[in-house]
Amino acid sequence: MMGPAVELVGVTKTYTKLEERAMLLRSLLPFARPKRTPLAALADLDLKVDAGETIGVLGRNGAGKSTLLRVLAGVSRPSSGVMRVRGRVAPLLSVGVGFHPEMSGRENVYINGMLLGLTADEIAERFDEIVEFAELEQFIDTPVKFYSSGMFMRLGFSVAVHVDPQVLLVDEVLAVGDLAFQLKCFDRMRELKDAGTTIVIVSHSMHAIRLLCPRAILLNHGRLELDGDVEEVIARHHDLLSQHDDHDPHEHSGEGYAGGVDVVERELLGPEGPTRQLRRGVPVTLRCRLRFDRRIDSPLVHFTVLAEDRTVVYQMRSVLNHEHRRYDAGEEATVDIRFTPQLGGGSFRFMVQVTSVDGRDVLYRETTGMLVYVPPPLGTAGVADLDATITLDGTVLTDYPDITL
Amino acid sequence: MTGMADVVLVEDRVLELTPAPETRRRMLADVIGHREVLMALARKDFQTRYKRATLGVLWAVAVPVLQAAVMAVVFSKIVRFPATGGYAPFVMVGIVAYTFFSSTITVGSTAIVDNASLTEKVWFPRALLPIVPALSNLVGFGISFLVVVLLLPAFGVPLEPRLLLVVPATLLMVAFTVALSLLLAALHVYFRDVRYLVMAALLVWMYVTPVIYPKDLPNLARYAWVFDLNPLTGVVDLFRLSTIGHAPGWGRSVTITVVATLVLGIVSLEVHRRHDRLFADQL
Repeated sequence: MMGPAVELVGVTKTYTKLEERAMLLRSLLPFARPKRTPLAALADLDLKVDAGETIGVLGRNGAGKSTLLRVLAGVSRPSSGVMRVRGRVAPLLSVGVGFHPEMSGRENVYINGMLLGLTADEIAERFDEIVEFAELEQFIDTPVKFYSSGMFMRLGFSVAVHVDPQVLLVDEVLAVGDLAFQLKCFDRMRELKDAGTTIVIVSHSMHAIRLLCPRAILLNHGRLELDGDVEEVIARHHDLLSQHDDHDPHEHSGEGYAGGVDVVERELLGPEGPTRQLRRGVPVTLRCRLRFDRRIDSPLVHFTVLAEDRTVVYQMRSVLNHEHRRYDAGEEATVDIRFTPQLGGGSFRFMVQVTSVDGRDVLYRETTGMLVYVPPPLGTAGVADLDATITLDGTVLTDYPDITL
Repeated sequence: MTGMADVVLVEDRVLELTPAPETRRRMLADVIGHREVLMALARKDFQTRYKRATLGVLWAVAVPVLQAAVMAVVFSKIVRFPATGGYAPFVMVGIVAYTFFSSTITVGSTAIVDNASLTEKVWFPRALLPIVPALSNLVGFGISFLVVVLLLPAFGVPLEPRLLLVVPATLLMVAFTVALSLLLAALHVYFRDVRYLVMAALLVWMYVTPVIYPKDLPNLARYAWVFDLNPLTGVVDLFRLSTIGHAPGWGRSVTITVVATLVLGIVSLEVHRRHDRLFADQL
């Protein structure tokens, strides 16, 4: 009789935040005990992951993702509720945790393997495979302190995936390493998945989560916000992120305001009014209401679209000048930036910046911008949507399998 | 009967965590199940400690032997402590044992915090961490002690069958050191002052233990029982009994050490059982 591979019932994890540093003397004196404020990192979490399932965990910083992984790895026990994990758990360590810098790669493989629950003999059996996968044949007897961060990570990943875990916990590591190795990791994780390994992935990269997980959960302030289809969860995650943006007092003034011009209002308008979701080929307008604090001649407005990793997808600028009209202090103007999105799936940031005409003085600058989420076009990946078609002997193909890298 | 076997299998493969601490049986099984990890960590600790030094492990021997030599010269030629069987053998045995204790406690009492990165993502019983330095220091101690034993005949102390008492003496020393390390390491997670308290205590401890002077000095004899309340006295006495064959009142001091070790050991293990999976929250 096998239950789910991972099962959490009403799991709560509270940390006690000490108002002041714990001091031996003060704790011994009952009247001088430091104040303790409980802090719920996980609140009443219910979760079932079946054997062989791959699940993504999304959430903002501090939502409880790391705490969840710590509880799953058995490092920390819940404050209430029950957690059950069946089988060997291999946490995919963020770069080289548990590696000893003075020891060689070989010695570290043994220590690490044992910590993950293998015997020395079992490690010896897999040793060559581990080294080959990590592509470190020439450096395996070098102390790991001479390794690059990429080599470090490759070795750590290689050990973790070769201990035949029943449950693999992956914590934000896929961003490291070169592309070729990343692809290899994805392949290896798919192999493990096919072999019945349960995988829990925590990542800020929706790309990675989308590629590997059909199902995801969203944590918000330690609570389970949503558990379901990955696209649905990613969309909800974006909603939460943009809500957070809206509540950010720095968004419209303060941080953005750099002196001279302030954007007092900003919205994205679709054909049916305000929107936060873009659809391919449907034009939208980013409307900004500017207020001038002093007399400014012909400022420049810049419009930039950034991808998730902050690469520039698109940028254009224009001088704000029409019939030599000048704006005096206190005057307002509406600037509409109209464009047709041809973006691939993912989240993008729309940034508006206002500078003096020579670009030297920044009058208004945004650091976060407006966060917008675009559902991925079927069968595609990447930041742009080139609307490609593939034909076979003249027939357009429309059968899109699971998205692959 | 097959039903029972199934239960055992399931219990073995399922990690179930609740707010309750582990059962004593489970804790024991966990520690025993990780003995290979313990040995690997101890080996690693030993190797890395002396890896970069040209003289390697010789340093583990050279330092206490040098210290003992200095003491021997200072206190037998200059201050002139009377000690049965000669002062040099007396002080060498004491220093070598005390060096093991102090160097192990120094590292062991901070082991859980210092190795936080090791246990951040993978769980194993944290009780292993304070045990590691005791095992790795045992090698250095063994060699130093061997050097001392080989020097004994040169000072006119014959080697006799009583030397076999070294085995229980070593066991007692390691057990007491480990029990104390376990408790201090757990405390250190919550109170970072422990590191400094230990440093201060070790400084004093050497002088309240009959390491460099005999507790049967004429003007001290009256207070022998005070020395015997110090659990380290029993350890040092047992080593002296096995080597120079002279340790007055060793029966009382050794009994006290054994009792203290048992009590401390039980308390330490209980603290670890209750707090093991909570340490992570403080690191």
